Amino acid sequence: MNKRRFFKIFITTFIVSFIILPIIISNTSWPTLARDYLFSMAFDETGASNTVSSIYLGYRLLDTLGETLVLFVAIVGTMTILSNIHKQSLQSIETYSKLPLEKRAKNSLRTNLVEVVASKLGPIILLFGLYVMLYGHISPGGGFQGGVIVASAIVFLALGTEVKTKLTNSTVLLKIESFSFISLILVTTYVVFFPNGFFCNIYTDNTFISASIIIILNILIGLKVGTSLASVIIAMMGGQNDH
Amino acid sequence: MIIERLLIFFIFITGFIGLISMKNLIKKIIGLNLLTSSVVLLFILEASRIGDEAPIIDNKVQNIVDPIPQALMLTAIVIGVCVTALSLAMVVRLYKTTGSLDIEIIKQRLDDDCE
Repeated sequence: MNKRRFFKIFITTFIVSFIILPIIISNTSWPTLARDYLFSMAFDETGASNTVSSIYLGYRLLDTLGETLVLFVAIVGTMTILSNIHKQSLQSIETYSKLPLEKRAKNSLRTNLVEVVASKLGPIILLFGLYVMLYGHISPGGGFQGGVIVASAIVFLALGTEVKTKLTNSTVLLKIESFSFISLILVTTYVVFFPNGFFCNIYTDNTFISASIIIILNILIGLKVGTSLASVIIAMMGGQNDH
Repeated sequence: MIIERLLIFFIFITGFIGLISMKNLIKKIIGLNLLTSSVVLLFILEASRIGDEAPIIDNKVQNIVDPIPQALMLTAIVIGVCVTALSLAMVVRLYKTTGSLDIEIIKQRLDDDCE
């Protein structure tokens, strides 16, 4: 029985390697046409010197909107599944994020050391995440990356107890998420009132104003990604966390 | 550049074997994440073949890498996070219902419940 299972896995792996290996090894030359166009035109057309930002918030804004929709649907599904579980077994479940102080010394996931370090580091990481979000158009970074850093900062704040903040309450987080998602849809679709076309940057004069729409979109996407990921992780850590 | 490609291929195969052969559901999800990471690495490697500087335009850079695969992989990473979160939530649900993470024990217990 065990031998047969091993044989099946071996055959499947062999067939998949046979298909995948030529794709990975193939050495055809990569086209430079799009790179050259973006190198010469992207800064003038969108105002962002980070070319990746000018692609996903300028040329492919529709793609980004669909991506945030996918994120939204995944978060809604995860929260629905997890919230039903906590409602069913509220008495029997005892998660480590709600342990009282005297039991924490024995739990390796929730010690005093973790609490102090996490609550001291949390605000600094939050500031760094906001920096990555705000400077996404001129430096490596952007909304998604900054949002993930903000989410880890919120998880750190939820692990520690020294800083009292409302940011670790999932109701507040989900309110911020809905607000930023509605604002994102409004900001991305307001251009239909201008003659440039759907999802266009209306300012192309290569000044600070032409990059401002990218800054606004970076902030909104960062808020949305950060709050939704943080609320999922807080829900996995044991539901509503309001200390 | 053949060594990088072979390493990416080994990451892919490791993730694939983890996905199909592990009986623990958490290990299956780790395998899925490895598989996604190998695809992301492959695209970044392909984009870096035609240049050697970060795609941030100022007066000094001359030979930037292709930024389009990087923007595409940004999407892929976010979708990977979504898939991971949703599948972990389903694993939590299955564990609460059946009391096990092993996929064969889960199947056995669900069959017992149905009868």
